Amino acid sequence: MTTILERPTATEADPGHTPRRRPASRSDHPLWFLVPALALLGVFFIAPTVFNFVYAFTDWSSFKTEISFVGLENFRDLLGNGSLISDLRITVIYAALVAVFQNLFGLLLALLLERDTRVNRFARVAFFVPVIMSALAVGYVFQALLKPDGGLNAMLSFVLPGEVSVAWLGSTTWTVVVVALVHAWKWMGLSMLIYLAGLKTISEDVLEAARLDGASSWQVFRQIKFPLLAPAVTFNVATALLGSMNGFDIVQATTEGGPGGSTELLNIFIFRTFGQGLFAQATTMSLTLFLVVAVLAFPVIYLLRRRERVL
Amino acid sequence: MKTNLKRRVAGVAAVAVVLLSAACSDPGSGSAASSSGEWPAQDADLSGTTLTIWAAQNSNKLPDSVISGFEDLTGADVEVVTIPDPYEQGVQTKVATGDMPDLAFWQPTASQLTALNARTNLLPLDDAPFLDDYDPALRDITGILDDTRYAALISTPAVEGVYYNKEVFEKAGITDLPTDWDSFVELGRELKKQGETPFFEMGADRWATQWWVQVQLAEAANDGLWDRVNAGEESFTDPTIQGAIDTYSDLIDEGLFNSDIKTATFEDQGKALLDGDAAMVVQVNSFFSQLQQLADTDELDQKIGFFPISAEGNVGTFIPDQSNAMVAFATGDEAQESAAKQLLSYWLGDGYGDFVEANSTVSLEPGVPTPDGVPQALLDVSASLGDSAGSMQALAIANPDLYINLADMIQGTKPPVQVAEATQEQFAQLAKAQGAEGF
Repeated sequence: MTTILERPTATEADPGHTPRRRPASRSDHPLWFLVPALALLGVFFIAPTVFNFVYAFTDWSSFKTEISFVGLENFRDLLGNGSLISDLRITVIYAALVAVFQNLFGLLLALLLERDTRVNRFARVAFFVPVIMSALAVGYVFQALLKPDGGLNAMLSFVLPGEVSVAWLGSTTWTVVVVALVHAWKWMGLSMLIYLAGLKTISEDVLEAARLDGASSWQVFRQIKFPLLAPAVTFNVATALLGSMNGFDIVQATTEGGPGGSTELLNIFIFRTFGQGLFAQATTMSLTLFLVVAVLAFPVIYLLRRRERVL
Repeated sequence: MKTNLKRRVAGVAAVAVVLLSAACSDPGSGSAASSSGEWPAQDADLSGTTLTIWAAQNSNKLPDSVISGFEDLTGADVEVVTIPDPYEQGVQTKVATGDMPDLAFWQPTASQLTALNARTNLLPLDDAPFLDDYDPALRDITGILDDTRYAALISTPAVEGVYYNKEVFEKAGITDLPTDWDSFVELGRELKKQGETPFFEMGADRWATQWWVQVQLAEAANDGLWDRVNAGEESFTDPTIQGAIDTYSDLIDEGLFNSDIKTATFEDQGKALLDGDAAMVVQVNSFFSQLQQLADTDELDQKIGFFPISAEGNVGTFIPDQSNAMVAFATGDEAQESAAKQLLSYWLGDGYGDFVEANSTVSLEPGVPTPDGVPQALLDVSASLGDSAGSMQALAIANPDLYINLADMIQGTKPPVQVAEATQEQFAQLAKAQGAEGF
């Protein structure tokens, strides 16, 4: 373990000579300095990921003492089960909706609060508060608000003529949209922050030149600001899309996957299976989710990065 | 350089192998449970001993009187740890990772005892001193897995049956209670004709949907239905269970249920029955606890009645839940295990009178009187226990999410045939994981 960090030098290609003394600056970073970091990485990141792969091929459950390998059986069972495909479909739809809403709201807020006035600074903080709130708390608050006799209907009944008693979380078609809106509401402050940072990097000269040329504010946004925000768009879309693929807490708190399984994300299905004591099957599902997220992540990030290249 | 690297690779591989093999033995299922051993006297000195009890949010207050009595008597320290809901999943996950209390509230059914891997994780209670104190009709009703007793019943198990509003019945001129399923449904139609809402179901909170199917199966259950399902000889898609699901679906389609069935919650259900907005509800004891929070005993006695119902008569269907029973864990520490047993024998021994008094619940022991002030409906529930049939949870080896599938049916996303198929599929998966024969 006393290996020294080094670049391959001519010495090694030339074995006839004794190695030259290396400059002192090269030898003051021994490789074993990395060991603590690597150990943490190994225990908390690499080992769980590896076990996620390993357990997917076993019959680990709460019912038995032994764990034995069963090959691809879990995958066969899972593919034969219609729930996986339908839950994956719901998960992808949910993630796409969240990505759209979260970026739309985030961008609008960023544009609205772009100038550094006192009011804007306060508003930015206010919109960032949901980001640091517990997701479960957000879910339960909205569940209470959206109940047929909840706060939203009470407000609507006050404003509109007649009694409003819409079950906002009761439709098997639209509830997934409502829940995606709640998810986007929680995280829009983060997107706003990143878009704001992006807007700050745009040179004032460019904007002034555009204005002198008589560009309307819409043209300035469409032709200058939005293209120059491409790196922020990449980050925001990728994190929103891939983060909500792994969504669980908000949906669990608002609908528990209902009504009629129409908001059952794959993670809720995994949670349910794990709760039944079928640990290996749950692991197989989470491995499937991991693979789907990975397969989705690469093309999405690649496409978004290609957009940046026109800059 | 090269050999160094090779050695390092070998080292990493060795560590990985050790990690993998260590991880491949389930930490939640260690050595076999130690044999039952002696039951200490109820008042043996336990100074310096701390016992931990896991409880759910709705059961963590139940043992208060027992704990203070036991602590005074023995000098032990008893701590109740509340495991957040969903309780069963939380406990199972903790136990699977090797974390165990001394005692826990647990549903004493075969399926839930299996889910906890009772054979290795729980202490057998076969020679417990309190067994002879139980009412003989209730003594062996549940808590037993493969002829070994793992759970001690502390209160009367819940019964699935019909809670009805007496005033609505009176107003409609109904004097005789239904005597079988047909007269029950006929009563519903009669009430509907008179403009009442006959039945109320909580589609949004889902879990009560399964009672409607299970009560129809009481006679079949007594006839060995669940034994056949457990052996893989009969399935949820066969006419008996499928028929019960279809009947439930037809009654909903017929309009005999509340119009907000898709969005109604547990709270709505209690309020509707108490206010007379609905005439009948098929529910279990926890529903009555909900009513007890809304009204006092006098009002409940005046308004709410209970009768069991089944396909061919008035057989109740019992379903013990987590608040009805305790299990003791095989922690491997003999002193702790013995102290846990001692607490159980106090609970169902000298402490039992205080326990039923403090919780105003029906006594399981003829030697301990049921306190005054227990509402009549609860006394009726417990009277129906003696000749009741076991529910799916009590008799089947696995407990599939029938209620979720039925709730999906109410929402219109699964037709009745798919409800049975999905439930059977999950049942088979669970049975296979347990290593049951026939799957």
